[in-house]
Amino acid sequence: MRALRWLLVPLIVLPLAWLLLSGFGRDPREVSSPLVGRAAPAWTLATLDGGTLNSADLAGHPYVVNFWASWCGPCVDEHPVLTAAQAEHGAELTLIGVLYQDATGDAESFLARYGDTGYAHVVDPDGRLAIDFGVTGPPETFFVDAEGIVRDRQFGPLSAALMAQRLASIGVSP
Amino acid sequence: MRAAAIGGLLALVAMGVVLAVGRGGEATVVERADALAAQLRCPDCQGLSVADSQTPAALEIRRQIGELIVAGAGDADVRAHFTARYGEWILLAPSSPLVWLVPFVAVLGGLLGLATWLVSRRRDRPDDATPALTAEQRRRLHEEAEALDA
Repeated sequence: MRALRWLLVPLIVLPLAWLLLSGFGRDPREVSSPLVGRAAPAWTLATLDGGTLNSADLAGHPYVVNFWASWCGPCVDEHPVLTAAQAEHGAELTLIGVLYQDATGDAESFLARYGDTGYAHVVDPDGRLAIDFGVTGPPETFFVDAEGIVRDRQFGPLSAALMAQRLASIGVSP
Repeated sequence: MRAAAIGGLLALVAMGVVLAVGRGGEATVVERADALAAQLRCPDCQGLSVADSQTPAALEIRRQIGELIVAGAGDADVRAHFTARYGEWILLAPSSPLVWLVPFVAVLGGLLGLATWLVSRRRDRPDDATPALTAEQRRRLHEEAEALDA
């Protein structure tokens, strides 16, 4: 009985301690996306430069959908990571920027100030695409494979290491 | 006095009838949309429902709820439309009834543990706190008592 009692300590206390401690390592606002493993939402939206882009045009190649806004601080931090990824994987990968609750003029000023990304940005005027992707706030990035299935999602800004790790999930290696 | 009581009772009954008739029948589209909006979490707020918020995302979700209801979707279909995008997180109250049982199970488990601990502690304690005397001690005690008596 006494030995059993001492066995209870590691059996109950340790998993509980692990559960509580592991909570420090994650962002409490982050929730897992139900989209991972499912087909990416379809859309047709106007681009910042006046054209139109359809998600069907992207079929057959892996692509990345990045929700951002000019008023979003962390978007400034990940801006060079996104630009570098497009420059590095230009032929095999398409990046798409989606304006999240932002004015087109402000977005254009942002790109003029921090540098053009080298890929298209679409305007999501009523936030419908953001809802279809279950976005809670920028930056948020979705990684879609050549079959059109969402394979990974980044909540918060991307670093170069995170970008490489997420791109690997859609078969894009450095 | 009696007439006043009867009058008051009649007024209450009449009020009940009016309320029942007024509420009778199907809920309107607006009532259903409002009820659903109150069940959904506003994605770009902190701890507010879609019904309580005026953010662009909340407005768009309210518009989509109305659109889905008009298209013939049931309440469960509307909730499923948003959980497919945001996961269970979008629902302010968890949909699984099991989740509501967790606190009760935890309290019951704690009480059970406490009870077993208290019972085992009582059992471990020896019934007689003073150790029994050996035959030798008993003999010496007897002798000393007799010596005192003498």
